[in-house]
Amino acid sequence: MSVSNEDNMSPHMQLSSHFFGDLLDSIIVDVASECHRIARLGLDRNLEEEEEELRLSAQARVTVADPSNSGETNGKYVVDIFGQTHPSVANEVFDCMNCGRPIVAGRFAPHLEKCMGKGRKARAKATRSSTASQNRYSRGSPVSAYSSYSNSASTNRLSNGTYSHTVEEYSNGTCEEP
Amino acid sequence: MRTSVYRPPTPDDAVEEQEDQEKQPTLQEIINIKLIESGEKERLMELLRERLIECGWKDEMKALCRAFIKKKGSNNVTVDDLVHVITPKGRASIPDSVKADLLQRIRSFLVQAAV
Repeated sequence: MSVSNEDNMSPHMQLSSHFFGDLLDSIIVDVASECHRIARLGLDRNLEEEEEELRLSAQARVTVADPSNSGETNGKYVVDIFGQTHPSVANEVFDCMNCGRPIVAGRFAPHLEKCMGKGRKARAKATRSSTASQNRYSRGSPVSAYSSYSNSASTNRLSNGTYSHTVEEYSNGTCEEP
Repeated sequence: MRTSVYRPPTPDDAVEEQEDQEKQPTLQEIINIKLIESGEKERLMELLRERLIECGWKDEMKALCRAFIKKKGSNNVTVDDLVHVITPKGRASIPDSVKADLLQRIRSFLVQAAV
């Protein structure tokens, strides 16, 4: 494959690059359109939550920074023994150890709720297992809880059969004795 | 005959009908048509898409989009904005192996199409 020194690209190369660029442009438009759709339909939960959190922490900072709020007869702002007032919304910013985002300390609790709850499908799984265990324990005596547990297992008929079988045996035994 | 979509004849077509042989299709256009008709363009695009997903290029572009959307607010963003955001970085960050592979395939198509 000889390439002349004068031409940077042979016509074939030029043409190939042109078509490659064509393909690439189409793919770029596809990616952009997909991201646009996700953003506009609100399908990206992380994006929504971040926007909301940014708004709320900006709000919180405004209420904290507003000097007309401190002092006076506002019950929230108590002066401590050193004469310092503490803002009702802690405004230190640090990074969440779960998702790594910078969070205002005062909004950390609701953030954790969402961060640990909706991050994966862990929330659905967690509620399912917790309600299942609640149902089990709320049935009263532990014996009925055990029987309900064995019923829920797939070896249903077998366990029932053996159980009743042994019961029958016992009753037979006690009848025969006297 | 009533079609479901009414499309007025494009001026280009009307012109070409009158002045028949004045406008010859360019080489590029000819090849483009050959690519599309043979199905090769579709195949190449799918291959390129797959390669770009594999190497993480698509995720990088999506991250760029998300960062831009976060900054601008999701209600003010147009597809055009995003295209302009991605295009320079996108064109530059294609892995060389992917580019070389695709170029090779296009070139062999050109050869085989006897152009």
